[in-house]
Order: sequence, then structure tokens, then C-alpha cells
Amino acid sequence: MLRPFAMLLMLLAGSSARAHIASNGFLTLNIEGAQISGSIELAIRDGELAVGLDRDGDGRVTWRELQAGQDSLQKYVQGHLRLSGDSGPCRMQFNPLEVNERLDGNYLWLPLRADCATALTRLSIEYTLLDAEDPSHRGLLTLTSNGAAQTAVLGGAGDARRFELHQISFWPAFIEYLRAGIWHIWSGIDHLLFLLSLLLPAVLLRRRNRWEAVPLAAPAFFNIVKVVTAFTLAHSITLSLAAFDVIRLPSRLTESVIAASIIVAALNNVFPRVTEGRWRIAFAFGLLHGFGFASVLAEMGLPQGARLAALVAFNLGVETGQLAVVLAVMPLAYLLRATTFYRRGVMPWASTGIACLALFWLVQRALP
Amino acid sequence: MNLPRLAWGRLFALAAWLVCLGLPLCAEAAPYVPGNDDTVLAELSTGTRFADVSARRLARGRVDVAIPLAQFYIQQSRLSGDLRFLGYAEAVLAPWVRQARPKPEVLLLQATLQQSRHDFAASLATLDRALAMRPKDPQALLIRATVLRVLGRYSEAGAACQDFSALVEPRLGALCMEGLRGLNGNLRSAYAALTRISPQGWLNSEKSWLYSELGEMAVRLGQEQDARRWFETDLALVPTDFYVRAAYADLLLRQGRPADVLALLRGQESFEPLLLRIAIAQRLLHDPGLEQSSARLRTAFDAELQRGESVHRREQARFLLEVEGNPTRSLEAALQNWAVQREPDDVLVLMHAASAAGLPAAAAPAADFVRAQGQSDVRVDAPAAAKSRS
Repeated sequence: MLRPFAMLLMLLAGSSARAHIASNGFLTLNIEGAQISGSIELAIRDGELAVGLDRDGDGRVTWRELQAGQDSLQKYVQGHLRLSGDSGPCRMQFNPLEVNERLDGNYLWLPLRADCATALTRLSIEYTLLDAEDPSHRGLLTLTSNGAAQTAVLGGAGDARRFELHQISFWPAFIEYLRAGIWHIWSGIDHLLFLLSLLLPAVLLRRRNRWEAVPLAAPAFFNIVKVVTAFTLAHSITLSLAAFDVIRLPSRLTESVIAASIIVAALNNVFPRVTEGRWRIAFAFGLLHGFGFASVLAEMGLPQGARLAALVAFNLGVETGQLAVVLAVMPLAYLLRATTFYRRGVMPWASTGIACLALFWLVQRALP
Repeated sequence: MNLPRLAWGRLFALAAWLVCLGLPLCAEAAPYVPGNDDTVLAELSTGTRFADVSARRLARGRVDVAIPLAQFYIQQSRLSGDLRFLGYAEAVLAPWVRQARPKPEVLLLQATLQQSRHDFAASLATLDRALAMRPKDPQALLIRATVLRVLGRYSEAGAACQDFSALVEPRLGALCMEGLRGLNGNLRSAYAALTRISPQGWLNSEKSWLYSELGEMAVRLGQEQDARRWFETDLALVPTDFYVRAAYADLLLRQGRPADVLALLRGQESFEPLLLRIAIAQRLLHDPGLEQSSARLRTAFDAELQRGESVHRREQARFLLEVEGNPTRSLEAALQNWAVQREPDDVLVLMHAASAAGLPAAAAPAADFVRAQGQSDVRVDAPAAAKSRS
């Protein structure tokens, strides 16, 4: 009798599903002029298959063995990943490898740099890593140039893939970043709420534990100018530091602290502690808000060759957006300053509302 | 007039304190250099060593090495749930598939691989080539029947079963036929017929086929006690049968016994379909392990999507509905899944997603299919309490 069932079980199993992650490599490339920098990340088990990392054959790859395999890994990558620019192949170099933990296991992370003869306007990538060992292996590419990122899936019996690189010219980029700055301050309502919390009392005076209207326009005006200037100055400082990678803070942290700063500013209106030097609060917390702006900018990336211009444009955009709101709201506040509605209604209740909203954000952002 | 009480120092102290409070929450994963040379970074299982590459080189020149090696890899994939093995099998077969006249054995393995990737059309085309060379190949006919059955093309599947029956012992032929009859309107009599089959003298794989068929029919009949018995019999015989293990877990979930699901699936987290059931149970139990399970499943589904593949839409649809609580996206995935395959579980997932999304009409294709086939399934007629809770 025939026994055709050696494969039966795997068939039945296959009809359901098997969602184990297939083999992926992660290729990240960033292009600046004629130079490419980035990294290639491969599962350590794929590295073993490609070059043999487990020297003592005990079925485990240790950090020592991975380091010992560094040269052959580099050669292997050199042979199976070819980057060519406008004027032919680019010369690839590597930095010492590191380890990256992903959900499906440890990956070797190999930083690389490639020098091309001339500045790149297009890039051709030939990705044949793991081709002979596992044809289902794919390279997931993230390619960044001039602030624009593109992604692609590489490998799989493919020839070289060609990518047109995003070109930028000065003014369109300037306007793009200006617009992004304005948009961010309007859509990211948290910065505005912080500023408004500090500005609401600018048209008032605190006397005998009560809010009173400022008699003249001049002090109100200077209160506003001081707060807005301090905030602007502070966030410009940290935005620049972060944009040029001098300091970097994790975004969940800055976002949480920004929420906390709104609570502080808003509660200060309900239970006044700082009544004269509010610009100091604006400055101190403005530093943190700068990191918040920076994370937006980091997502966009700064265009090569126009880093400073883009930063200035973005910051100008932020100031413009912020000023527009101040100009819209503060004259109204000035007109209403003497009313009970403003002093007993808007001041405590709007501030409490803002604090509650910010508390909600804080919880949302701080908790994973 | 109140003078400012908070001085600069205090303000910065406050800001600094807030920063410190936040820091531990934000430990972000990044490449690192292990502190110890002896840190083990990867454990290599059988068939994943560089040493095996020599066997593969040999396989490039010798088909009599390539075939058993590919079979070995496919087997490893089944045992470990690891998709990479399918890629290794593909690599071993590649030179032999490209030949002008590939051997039928090579084509069968190729069809099996294509079928595991849910590339059913390609699988059927490969089987046609194999059958053109060797029309009386029971294995090819059985794979063909299985693929057509998954696609819901029961009359063609029946023809393949018929041809298969003519070549094998009557009990196996009956198993193929009754399995189909259980899907097109004759569930009760098909179940009765299968319970009368004695698997005496059969291989474990053949017995396992019978038990899983019986277990699934019992589930669709609502005979949960019997279903449990069949599933347990099967798992006692073939503990690595993760297909049946998943079906058993679903039964336990329907019975509102998530704790038993976790016990049944402990140590099987590397199989994503089983991990899905674990995550569903963890959600019902408010188990802290849920976060890690969800993250792993999400990564797996995302990676697949990024690669432009859609092999596990059914699992993804269930994940979106029963773990993430996102009926709209679940329905989207369930509809995409329905366009590819039509097993009873695919009917179920589409119906659940559609009704949870408030769009029961979206399940019309499945409802029409069920009606046209006369398919009966108590799970479709009476949704379990556990499902409606999620």
C-alpha cells in the first residue's frame, strides 16, 4: 500500500497559518552630498547562515564569536550589498558592530559609510544578502535624503533597484519649514495652552488675594511681551541644541514634562504663587517646549545644505503662529479685563479646565 | 502684593525633578555593546547552522540530496513554527525547480511551499505540472484536494478526492471524501461515517488527519465533549500538531476557559497562531503578559505587511478584533482574508468582525457561501458568550 502521507501534517498545518516572522534585514541609509551613512541590521542567526559565527560549534553565538566574525561579516556585506551613485560604485566602510534586540531575537547592527565620487542625485542598490541561503529574505530599506524618507523592500531575485533622491532648493524648503512651524504651534495645542495660561493674568494685577484689572495698557503690554519673549528665547535655545544633536531627550519624556508645565502654569492662576515673574516660568519651561518642537523637526529631518535655514524657518514659523494667537486673544482679554466674567470666571475656570486637560495628557503620555 | 516666591533655583529644580521622574519611563531600545564576551546572543536550532551549508552545496548538484533536505526543512518549519525554514527549503529546491523538466517530487515540494505561503494559484499550477507528468500520484492529488478545499472549491476538490480514492486504501479515500461532505451540507452523516472508521494499522500522521477532522466536525456540530476527546487523542499521539492545538484552544475560549488555554499553550509562544490564542486568553484574564504578546504579534503582522505579504490575515483579523478591540480594521483584514481562503474559520472571523463593526451586511459574501454550500456550524448560528464580551 502506498504511504503518501509524509507531508500530510505539514499540509494541514499550512492551510491554517503560521505567522512566524520571515527573515528580514534592515537597511538604513542617509545621504549627504556624496556620502552615504547608515547601517545594516541582520538577525544573528542569518549572520551565522551567511558566514558561520558559531566557531566552537556549541549551537550558540556569543558576543565574543560575533566580534570574531566581524571581518567575514563585513566582507560578506561588501559582496552582497552594492551601492552605486551617479558616477559608479561607492566605496563602503564599516564601523565596529553592535547588537540590537528586536522582538524576534538579537540582531547584529553594522554601521556603514559609503563614499561616492560625486554628489548623489540617484542611488542604485543591489541587495543580494542571504539570497543563496534563504530566498525569502528581504531587506527593508529606509532611505533618507534631504529630509525626505522613502522606504522599499529589497531582495528576492531582484536586479539593482534605483532610487531618485529628493532634491531641495532653498526657498521652497524655507517655506515648507516655515509652514511646518506655524502648523505645529496651531495643531499642537499644548504649547498654546501653556502660553495662554501665562498670559491670561497679564492683563490683571494680584492685590489682597484678588485679581484686579491693570489700569493702563502699558503694563499689560509689557507683561505680554516679557512672557512671549522669554518663552521664545528659551525654546529657540533648546530647539537649536536639539536640532544640531547637541542634546537629545526621549520624546515621551519631553511630551510628559510639557504636559506637566501646563498644569503648573494653569494652577498658578488658580492658586497664585508667582504673580510678578511669570516670564521666568515661561523661560524655564520654554526650554522643555523647545525639545518638543525639536522632535517634530527631527521627524521631518533637516535638509542637507540648508540645515540652519530650515531651523530658522521652522522657528520663525513657530513664532508667527504663536504671535497670531496672542494678537487674536490678548486684545480681547484686555477689553474684558475689568469684568467679573474675566476675573472670576475665565481666570479660575478656564485655568482649571486647562490644568485638567493637561493632567489627562500627562497621564496619557507618561504611561506606556 | 505677593512677591514671587518661586525663585529661579526652585523652578529649575522642579523642571529637573520632572525630567528625572520621566526618565525611567523612556528607556528606548537602541543598538548596544554587550558588556560580557560570553553573553549568548543567539541559540541555533537544528538546521540553522553554517555547517549545514555544506549539505546545501551538495544539494545543488544532487537532486537525491535536495529532496530529503527540503523535506527536512519543511518538517522543521512545521515543528518549530519558524518560517525561515521554508526559505531554506526554497533555496535547496531552487536549482531543481528551474530545470526544463523538474522531477515530480520536486514539484510537489514546491507546491507545498507555495501553499504554505498561501499562494494557492501558484500551488495549483505547480500541481498541474506534476500531475501532467504523473497523473496517478496520490500525494499530488491529496495536496490538490486540500488546496481546493481551502479555497472553497468543493466540487473540484471532490474530483481530486475521487481520483485519490482510486489509488489508496478505501479508508483513506473515505476520509478525503467525508471531510468534504462535512463542509457541503452533510455534516452529521459525514461525522457519523468518520466515527465508524477504525484507524488500525495507520501511521500516526494518518490517524492525526482522522482525529483532527473528527474534532473539527464535532466543534461545528456543537458536540463539545466529543470535540475535546478527539483533540486530546490527537495531541496525545502527535503533541506537535499545532493546528489541532489551536483548534482546541479556540474551543476552550468558546467555553469561557481562558486559564485552560494558557495551560494548553504554555511554552508554545513561538508559534504566532498559538500566541494569538494566548493573547486572547491573557486579555480575558487581565494577565500582565498581554502587553508582550500583543507587541510580538503586532511586529509579526507589521513585518508581513511591510513585505507586501498577506499570509496571516485571518489571525490578524482576530487579533484586531479580540485583542486590540478595533472592529473596523478587523473587518478590513477579514474581508481581505475572505478573498483568499474560505474555511469555516474564515467564515467565522468575517461574521464576527462584521457584526462587531456594526456592518453585518459586510459578511454577506460569507453568508451567501455558507447558504449555497448548506454548510452548518453552530459557532456561526450561536456566537459564544466569550466572543461577545471581547
